[in-house]
Amino acid sequence: MTDREHTIDRIWFLRATGGVVLVVLLVQFLTGVLLAFYYVPSVDHAYTTVSYIERVVSSGSWIRSLHHYGSQWLTLFVFLHIIQLFLTRAYASRRIQWIAAVLVLGLVMAAGGTGYSLPWDARAFFSTRIAEGLVGGLPGVGRIARLWLLGGSEISTLTLSRFFALHVLLTPAAIVAVVVWRLFRTRVCWPNLVRHAIVAGLVFIALALWCWKHPAPLGPSVADMTAEYLPRPGSQFLWLYQSLKYLPGGLGSIAGLVLPGIALVILVLLPWLKSQRLIGGSILAACVLLVGVMTTASYLSDRRDQRTRQQLSRQAAQEEAARREPFRPVPVRLVADTANTGPAEPPVLYTKFCANCHGQHGEGGRQGPLRFPPLLGVSAKPHRTVDDIVSLLQKPDSYGLQPPMRSFSDKLTEQQMREIAAWIVRL
Amino acid sequence: MADPGKMNDAKLFCPVSGLNATWEETRTLQRLLWQPLVMNNTPAPNNSRRSFLKLLPLGVLAGVFASLGGAAFRFLRPRISVATDAWLDVAPLSELTGPQPLSRKIVAEQITGWAVATEEHSVFVLPAKNNQVLSAVCPHEGCEVVWEQNRNRFSCPCHESYFAADGGRISGPAPRGLDPLPMRVQGGKLQVQYVSKEQSTRA
Repeated sequence: MTDREHTIDRIWFLRATGGVVLVVLLVQFLTGVLLAFYYVPSVDHAYTTVSYIERVVSSGSWIRSLHHYGSQWLTLFVFLHIIQLFLTRAYASRRIQWIAAVLVLGLVMAAGGTGYSLPWDARAFFSTRIAEGLVGGLPGVGRIARLWLLGGSEISTLTLSRFFALHVLLTPAAIVAVVVWRLFRTRVCWPNLVRHAIVAGLVFIALALWCWKHPAPLGPSVADMTAEYLPRPGSQFLWLYQSLKYLPGGLGSIAGLVLPGIALVILVLLPWLKSQRLIGGSILAACVLLVGVMTTASYLSDRRDQRTRQQLSRQAAQEEAARREPFRPVPVRLVADTANTGPAEPPVLYTKFCANCHGQHGEGGRQGPLRFPPLLGVSAKPHRTVDDIVSLLQKPDSYGLQPPMRSFSDKLTEQQMREIAAWIVRL
Repeated sequence: MADPGKMNDAKLFCPVSGLNATWEETRTLQRLLWQPLVMNNTPAPNNSRRSFLKLLPLGVLAGVFASLGGAAFRFLRPRISVATDAWLDVAPLSELTGPQPLSRKIVAEQITGWAVATEEHSVFVLPAKNNQVLSAVCPHEGCEVVWEQNRNRFSCPCHESYFAADGGRISGPAPRGLDPLPMRVQGGKLQVQYVSKEQSTRA
């Protein structure tokens, strides 16, 4: 051992990050399982069930807070663990531990990224938008990757289900596989375990107390969101959020996905590379620098700008007030709607102007290479209320729709459009 | 770690921290951490101290499980659903005539957790018995009974319980007759409160 490694070896709390990672991971798994007992991954119930957990279920706020802040602490401790492994040259002598730690960091970030969408509140809305933008901007594969991630051409209830499956099934399974592989390929010695246990226990107590004091944030539902709402991601993503402010649009995916991905791949391959200390050291130093500077910049810019500060504290006050409001159960119909059995017959003007492309009953269609989206269930998507559909029929391009969808302002009066829209939203 | 003497120079390899440490280094750390906690300052026999320390990781694990487990118990505790005690319209009195039991549907709201469920329930009105209203739920296991007009009886499709035209039990596993519901007449309409009774297999 060199002198430097000896010094690191003496900083005993730095040598105990592994146990902390293990315990916080355990907390994430247990609280995640508990949350799944109430959570429903669909756009009409996700927000309701999360606020039910938050406001009605005993200990619900604490458990959700543990899961929320636990994910942020977990990212931090996995990163510290990697630093510790790097400083003790684990990439050369204990490859399995090194590779496992780097993989877990990537997976934990992925779990965090998908998890932020699940409450389907205002924050989730923006988080999903960012994920969509980052994936869609990937060079080459972006367009296809975006469709596969969203489950369709727009963010919808299918997107929420996909994020749910990724968050609660695939990522945790991968994390378990990596952690089990790492623990079983290496020997356990009790004296070290004791040190790990002490530090992990203290961190757990700190996390538990923090979460008891600070409930996890839950923004307004997407329907109640106002235009001036300022979304802020969890602290493990603040660096990305702040960087995206400085980068021109096209570079976002490079900074947010491609570069971190390349960095992770290089770190995983580090045991087989030459000049390991230089490569690994510069990547880790760059990470520390980027995350440190950007996170600080984000906090500072929020504090400095007075309007931002006021809006953020207004949002915090609204969240606090919403937390104290009594919970109102939402209607769920278990009987056939007697007033409205089946969709009504389409309006004559729909048949005349729309049915050619979108199908006689809104089922969509295709003509040669052209595909026309179905209108069934379209009202579950964002920005598809009756008013939206009317203005969409007037100006399709302002809703991002492209030809062959065209404006019907010259064919239909607003009243007629409203009639068609009213029928479409009931599909 | 049978004999510390033998291990003095051997680097122990710990997978969790990913570090090698000699036995002596580990002992120093232990002493630093635990000296204040040991009441008697003369060194305790190595065995008992080590076995105590051995339990510590398990203790931390148990602590995490216990605190989360306590919260989990409260978190998962079942919630009793609240039936609204509203009076529900069954039918106008003028419709309720004749010797036969009449099948009607009522729509009741029930608050369960985060949902207000609107559920449809079958009831039978007995015009011959002063418009008594019977729940169609079989008191055995909760299937819905049907009225067999030609045999003048109710029968349960699940386990062949039979009930007379006034709701009394004839035969089968049902423990009692069909349950009457609280009823009243308001503004020329027959109204009931929907109460869900326990089934015999649950009682």
